[in-house]
Amino acid sequence: MDGDCGVLWGKVSPWPLGTGDNGVPWGKLHPWLLGMGDNGVPRGQRGLMGKAKSPPFGDRGQQGPMRRTGSHENNGVPRGKVSPWPLGQGTAGSREDKGIRWGAASTGAHGPPGGWARRSLSAGPAGPRRPSPSPAEGAGRAAGEQRCWVYHCSRVAAMVLKVFFPSCCSSAESGILIGRWISEQNSAVILAVVHFPFIPVQVKQYVSEVQRVTKVNVSVLGSWSNSKQEKEESLSEFLEDLGTIFSHEPWIQISKEGNSKFWSCSTLQKHSNNPKEEEIILVYYDQRKVMLSHLHPPLDTAASTDRKADDASKLSAIFDTVAKSKVLFMTDRYDDGPIKLTHWQSDGVEASIIVELLKQASVPACMLLTFLLSVISGICRSRVLKFWPLSFLWSKLSTCEQLGYRLQHLQVISSNKKAQNESQLMRKANIFVSLLIDVALGILLMSWLYRKNRIGHLADTLIPVADNVAEELQDLLQWLMGAPAGLKMNRALDQVLGRFFLYHIHLWISYIHLMSPFIEMILWYVGLSACLGLTMALCILSDIIALLTFHIYCFYVYGARLYCLKIYGLSSLWRLFRGKKWNVLRQRVDSCSYDLDQLFIGTLLFTILLFLLPTTALYYLVFTLLRLLVVIVQGLIHLLVDLIDSLPLYSIILRLCRSYRLAAGVKFRVLEQQDGKPLRLLMQINPLSYSSVVQTYRLPTYSCYPKDSWTSLCKKLFLGELIYPWKHKGEKQD
Amino acid sequence: WQKVLYERQPFPDNYVDQRFLEELRKNVHARRYRYRAVVFQSGAVVQQLCSVCVFVLTWWYMAAGALSPQGLFAAALASSLLGYVLFDAVDGGAGRWASGRTRWADLKSTLVFAAFTYGFSPVLKTLTESISTDTIYAMSALMLLGHLIFFDYGANAAIVSSTLSLNMAIFASVCLASRLPRSLHAFVMVTFAMQIFALWPMLQKKLKAQTPRCYVGVTVLFALAALAGLATVSSVGAVLFASLLLAISCLCPYCLIRLQLLKDNIHGPWDEAEIKEDLSRFL
Repeated sequence: MDGDCGVLWGKVSPWPLGTGDNGVPWGKLHPWLLGMGDNGVPRGQRGLMGKAKSPPFGDRGQQGPMRRTGSHENNGVPRGKVSPWPLGQGTAGSREDKGIRWGAASTGAHGPPGGWARRSLSAGPAGPRRPSPSPAEGAGRAAGEQRCWVYHCSRVAAMVLKVFFPSCCSSAESGILIGRWISEQNSAVILAVVHFPFIPVQVKQYVSEVQRVTKVNVSVLGSWSNSKQEKEESLSEFLEDLGTIFSHEPWIQISKEGNSKFWSCSTLQKHSNNPKEEEIILVYYDQRKVMLSHLHPPLDTAASTDRKADDASKLSAIFDTVAKSKVLFMTDRYDDGPIKLTHWQSDGVEASIIVELLKQASVPACMLLTFLLSVISGICRSRVLKFWPLSFLWSKLSTCEQLGYRLQHLQVISSNKKAQNESQLMRKANIFVSLLIDVALGILLMSWLYRKNRIGHLADTLIPVADNVAEELQDLLQWLMGAPAGLKMNRALDQVLGRFFLYHIHLWISYIHLMSPFIEMILWYVGLSACLGLTMALCILSDIIALLTFHIYCFYVYGARLYCLKIYGLSSLWRLFRGKKWNVLRQRVDSCSYDLDQLFIGTLLFTILLFLLPTTALYYLVFTLLRLLVVIVQGLIHLLVDLIDSLPLYSIILRLCRSYRLAAGVKFRVLEQQDGKPLRLLMQINPLSYSSVVQTYRLPTYSCYPKDSWTSLCKKLFLGELIYPWKHKGEKQD
Repeated sequence: WQKVLYERQPFPDNYVDQRFLEELRKNVHARRYRYRAVVFQSGAVVQQLCSVCVFVLTWWYMAAGALSPQGLFAAALASSLLGYVLFDAVDGGAGRWASGRTRWADLKSTLVFAAFTYGFSPVLKTLTESISTDTIYAMSALMLLGHLIFFDYGANAAIVSSTLSLNMAIFASVCLASRLPRSLHAFVMVTFAMQIFALWPMLQKKLKAQTPRCYVGVTVLFALAALAGLATVSSVGAVLFASLLLAISCLCPYCLIRLQLLKDNIHGPWDEAEIKEDLSRFL
């Protein structure tokens, strides 16, 4: 850059010396370059004036001579008065005009405007890709619909110059514009306005320093004049001359006259000899929102990904530029500098002492947490717990799964590694908020439980309920052992099965009664786990249900195994009955000649199995229904747990309160127009829809549901294969 | 005129010459049957009908209690031993030598039969308790009919499946055996079914191949015995059954030969569409 500067100096004038008599600007020195204010106010008083002018930033005015016309609202663009698009007759004419104008801008290079618009709409990085032949028609749609034109930079690039102007700078005083020139898109992103007076060398130094810090190619792009009174001839000349000092191609000149909403824009191209009329579009953007927002890549399908990614990068270049120059807005580092700027001003860092203190305190807390977590996970990973019966037990208890999951979350939060990108940061925040809410709900539950001896009541009702369930089951079995629903069952098998299951229930009841003195104590201690979070309590509840209905599970397994055996036996014996067999190598049924004794025994068994099938099937059906009931209850609990675990609460709150933070794209609103003045657009950020917020930031969970489709579930039920609420380890290999 | 398309001729393409039908042949593959031979071959059907009849009669007597299971078992055992000896004696052991089956394997098969049947007989006894008797009768009748349909009478057809036919017979015998009063009855009934449906046809086939005269005698004797047995139960049934047997062994061959004369099968220098359907995959 220095070298570049040197060349420029050599060409233009020996600037640094300050006594240039080369005739360019010094010759007719403008009063502004001296220590005078814009309206002739001496420099010393300016601090006071700044205070008077912008009350929210009054204190900043006192910090130094630097004056920043900070604004959160876009003072320059009166949004209330913007011609409302889809409204009636009064504005219809102007709308048409705008449409034609926009179309005409493209026609010069690209043929029919309709075709251009369609292409440009379809190529936007985000937002609705609804083909709309012209902006005018798009505007005619309902207001509720996302009425926006997605900007397609590359199409417009060839003929239209786009100036992205921060709306907070619209009331800034005259000066020069600094920002980034994106030549591929033929667009200029204005970041700030440097006020008169300044010394060009200092401005250049400042710009190069900003470049170094932000890694954004910031340069002086043009001039800005905000004349409260009528235009002064000398000023315009002076501004043109500035273009030769800060050589930039093209040199943009924007001037605002009085309180007019319509600014005049022009470009100066020194080297091109033919001064062709260049169309200029002024795009206002909210600097703060654009800086803070995180542009999301479109969730497109796999087709033409690279093309869309390319388009997204075009829009994201603007977002990037603004976001990277955060330093420009945030720090007070340049306050003492001789250059006065106008841009969006942050509240500064001094307002958040409490946050700073918290940050400082969180470091040792995190370290302690990390240490504890590493100890706990070390214990969990120790070999003692890995032996067969224990590890089997761990994998079946949902509480352990949830505990492991939460441990993982805590590890993520407490790790002292910095989040590398936006999504990781978001993930951490989501985990943190979900953990916080979970624990809060858990403590709420606990406070409810431990009041008024509710645990005791619960324990007192639990035993009779279990007894009741067992009695109901006994009645059911007695019914099945008779002639249930008039079905004719094999009496001998029926009696055998019924007695077998009755004995199990007997065992179960005696077990429950053995446990009954300890139930209250167990519940009391288990209830304490609610302080670890609501999800933990729910998981324990699910496990308790599983333990209390263990007899139903046993019945189900016996019934299913028996039924499965019969079904498989019958299917293979049916093949033998027809003189066929299953060829394993070719995966098909082949004919086969069996021996006489094979045939005889096979048919004998087939007959026996066939006649015993209805009895087994009935037992299987009844117990499967019972089991499904339990599984559905457990599944609902797990669904709730999963919801709390996986919902990206932080992102959703962000979307709710600061919808611009999660941007899906932008839309442009056409502001009021005047002939001969550049088209004015207001860039607004399209917030991400809630569904895609959830989709993007959903936290991964251990899924404990069977991933079967309904048909495969029905098939499994029919074939008598066991259905588990948890996922099989072996199934993953299939 | 030439029957070619590759040469230019003064006729349209669809022209058919008078000489076209000169090459027509009729009934090229039609066989001329002799009455005696057809009657001899129909013996297999008669035998199988009689087997089913004897089996049902035996079951009838057992169910009525007129036939003791021990007596039937002794008779069946004796006839099986006789048949076993005959089976080797008819062809002088050539068939056994060709198949390479040892006597030890025969004994093993017999033991497996006996053990399984005896072991399962109590189960068989209670198997169909709750099922209506009419259902059992209908099922058995259907199965025995299926046995007769799918039996290998020596014809080369897709529908023939000796495995299926044997299995259907066993199924029917198990169904009927479950209606007998005691488990020993069931055991004897199933054993008898194996003998009459599995072993007896094997011996018949060998007799038919080796000594046709003897086979005719055996068939006639067997048919007479079945008729006599049926006459003791129902004389009307006996008459009907006798007429059925006569129809199959005398009337049907006559009809076949008469109908053969009406056969009009044309062959010529054209390609016929042949439907080659594999019926076996439906079975």
